[in-house]
Amino acid sequence: MSVGRKGEPVLPDLAELCRIHEIGIDLIERSHDVDELLDRVLEEYEKRLSELPADALDARQATTRPESQQKLRALVMFATQATALREKAVAASELKRRAAMLEEANARLTAALGEAERARARLDGVLAALSAGVMIRGSDGAFLRANAAARGLVGEDDDPALTRLIASGVPRDGEAEIDLPSRGGRRTLLVARRAMAKDPGSEVILVTDVTQRNHAVEERVRLEKLAEVLKTLSVLSHKINNPLTALLGRAQMLQVKKGTDPGVAKAASVIEESSLRIADLIRELAQVVKEGRQEALDDLLDMNGTAETASDGSRS
Amino acid sequence: MKLSVNQDGRFLRLVFSGCDAIDHVNAAAVKAEALSLLGEASDVAVDLSEIEFIDSAGIGVLVALFKNARLRGGRARFCGLRPGVRSVLEIIRLDQIFEIYDDVQAAVRA
Repeated sequence: MSVGRKGEPVLPDLAELCRIHEIGIDLIERSHDVDELLDRVLEEYEKRLSELPADALDARQATTRPESQQKLRALVMFATQATALREKAVAASELKRRAAMLEEANARLTAALGEAERARARLDGVLAALSAGVMIRGSDGAFLRANAAARGLVGEDDDPALTRLIASGVPRDGEAEIDLPSRGGRRTLLVARRAMAKDPGSEVILVTDVTQRNHAVEERVRLEKLAEVLKTLSVLSHKINNPLTALLGRAQMLQVKKGTDPGVAKAASVIEESSLRIADLIRELAQVVKEGRQEALDDLLDMNGTAETASDGSRS
Repeated sequence: MKLSVNQDGRFLRLVFSGCDAIDHVNAAAVKAEALSLLGEASDVAVDLSEIEFIDSAGIGVLVALFKNARLRGGRARFCGLRPGVRSVLEIIRLDQIFEIYDDVQAAVRA
């Protein structure tokens, strides 16, 4: 044991140094776990406090025995070592907790990315299966995605011509028909723009080729009109036919009646001839109505127009 | 030394009275009675406002109360420390280990 000038030990004896060393090693080993470290520290405190003489911590005592002072110094040395280690252990525990949180967040992020990738693959599958063109445009105006149908309808997905057309002719969250030149003439595309719910700056653009549909609509309207015309002709033919029959009958009667003035008989002959022409025309009209074709009606009108012109020419 | 307990929120408050010291004279008895009174309580607020003097044996009682609370999955908080008691805890660095509050209200609300 080292002894100072006044006979007090200045250093703990060798046994105490060894003990402190062993405890220090033990504490360091346990310092990765704050709870375990604290348990060990409390245990050691109890042991050392029980070894400490009662007067060692008594501030009221003017002097304490050297042995008490030595044990107190040893306790303070241990306590200093223990508190420093505990602080490090608390910090290490906090780091560990945060590292675990980061790892968990990273795992969640990875899972979310995987899910997003799967969702993207599903979206690609759905888009590919759609016959309508679907394009997704980001808030910066760039086309992010276009399915095969869209590329087929409007060319490349970053087609500047389409961008201009959409900007000029289709309102946001609205739709409009756009005519585009094509090899076989012009084609009509129905373009609808819809803002994306979760990102209003971005939008989904749906493109459908309505050229055929528009032709079909026009044809349906034409056929409806033709049907109306033919129905009118049918009614008129029927209404004309009744007085015409009476007219023809009277004209024929006048011709065969004895004592009829020759001038009247000739006029009756002209009336009969004209009535027969009208009757022929009505029969042709009835045939056209029966066929129900535009071409038949056009032929009839052409034929009668030609006949009328010829007739006019012969009269003049 | 007289010890009493009363519930204050989730904390069981332990009060020392009738004697201003916990030392080698009464430490063993105080420890036994305190642990008996606390029973299964896990969260304890130890009111030391009446204690003027504490020696190593008395500190041993406080360490035992602290360990007891930890064993039961709770915590022991010490409050109302007089300067003499506080300085002793500071000398042996137990102020870094224990949870110390100015008074009982602060201890049970923290």
